[in-house]
Amino acid sequence: MRIDPANPVAPTNIVRRFGMDQVPDHVPPELVRQAGLIYSPEFLSDPYKFFAGMHEKFPPIFYDVGPFGNAWVMTKHEDALFALRHAEYFSNEDATPFPRDPEDYFYFIPIEIDPPDHRKYRNIVDPIISPQGVLKLETRIRALANELIDDIIGKGECEFDEVFGRPLPVLVFLDLMGLPRDMSDTFVSWAMALLHSNDRKIMGDTLKTIGDYLKIAIAEKQANPDDGLVSRIAHAEFDGQKISEKEAYGFVVFLFIAGLDTVFATLNNMWVWLAENPDRRQEIIDNPENINAQVEELLRVRSVTFSGRTVAQDVEIRGVQLKKGDKITSILPACNFDPDVFPNPSEVDFHRPKKIILAFTVGVHSCMGAHLARLEIKIALQEWLKRIPDFKIKPGAETIYRPGGVIGPESVPLVW
Amino acid sequence: MPAVTYVEFSGAEHVVDVAEGDNVMRGALNNDLPGIIGECGGGLACATCHCYVDDAWADKAGTPTSQDEIDMLESTSDEVKSTSRLSCQIVIAAELDGLIVHLPEHQY
Repeated sequence: MRIDPANPVAPTNIVRRFGMDQVPDHVPPELVRQAGLIYSPEFLSDPYKFFAGMHEKFPPIFYDVGPFGNAWVMTKHEDALFALRHAEYFSNEDATPFPRDPEDYFYFIPIEIDPPDHRKYRNIVDPIISPQGVLKLETRIRALANELIDDIIGKGECEFDEVFGRPLPVLVFLDLMGLPRDMSDTFVSWAMALLHSNDRKIMGDTLKTIGDYLKIAIAEKQANPDDGLVSRIAHAEFDGQKISEKEAYGFVVFLFIAGLDTVFATLNNMWVWLAENPDRRQEIIDNPENINAQVEELLRVRSVTFSGRTVAQDVEIRGVQLKKGDKITSILPACNFDPDVFPNPSEVDFHRPKKIILAFTVGVHSCMGAHLARLEIKIALQEWLKRIPDFKIKPGAETIYRPGGVIGPESVPLVW
Repeated sequence: MPAVTYVEFSGAEHVVDVAEGDNVMRGALNNDLPGIIGECGGGLACATCHCYVDDAWADKAGTPTSQDEIDMLESTSDEVKSTSRLSCQIVIAAELDGLIVHLPEHQY
């Protein structure tokens, strides 16, 4: 059904299933698993080993039963591409896990809007976030990276996540949105509660807190326009008609949720790897001309998130019957270890033939922040390794991963 | 603005103006043309803006401009030919006024 983004209506046909008692009859018993994704001790002890190992331990598509809801899980690169590119079978309706108030419903824009309406929203932000658009930010991002390094380089140690991994992407993002930097810590605490509490009550309350703040921010931008994304969205027009309140709100809220902690988690993951692999770190330093391939390969082995869809009509994948209404998740970090596409997948090889990596998904709804993320990672690697080329994890420290929908370590204490 | 002709697989032609500095993929998306998807938005990460530069324009626009583009062209769904390009990598300049690109049957 084509939805009207300006007049959102809460879907009433969403079925969430939890636990072994709620496995639908059409699921073959031999395909039911409790994989422990994102929460089991085995997963959290080494998430990326777990993702890579899924290709041996589990069928390529299986029905995962867990505390955050039951869903089909896919780990093959080819299957994820298919799901991401075929909205007629795999709908974005209810694709995000964030609970909204049915009485004051809104759509997450543009992720929940399919073509042709999708493009009119992307046109508002594309000039800023396109590959050419983000290049205009390069000088500022590089300067910020160096300011952050200035503060810590003489100390010989740091909590990487707090002093670099988090502030670099978060401050860049807030500048881009036109939101105040001094709210940074508050914003991050909201994002953590939303993405890592794994509690629908906390998630719902937090989403309301975020929404109340952003409603005021949008109103302020309507009164006082600037160059930021919030203002651009607040002042957008389609064929001479002003964007509706619900559309502007759903767009800004979605950007806020999507933009805050993904690059943060990615940098933390990458710096753990760099700290533990001094020879490979040196290889990056010695081959500056290969930086784009290095970024891409590190993104492949340290992707941080998943892609959820709802089955829109019955479909068969690898002989498995999926029924309308089933939930399905592409495990993108596992797809990036698919040996059929990336031979010897756990080996980090900066000279692999370029293939589609799924860090940012594909399809119409592929990540709009991908180009900014790539640029931030590139700059972070270049500037950090230039000034702090040799570092390791603080002796005795243990790398502990957060349970939740964005994979990253709790802390990254470094010494040099 | 330079004019670019997009020829769909069916043979249908669309002539649109594309600003200098913009690319052929954006020109298609901005004008809602079928046949080019450009799902990654020009990041050399998806191979869904594949096109065949017309032979008459092969000298000016028929050769990939980076190793990344050459690598990514291996991921296109339809056959790669001698003038295959990722249209996001064809940046419009005055000398490309009149450019003709042919679109493949599938982008994936």
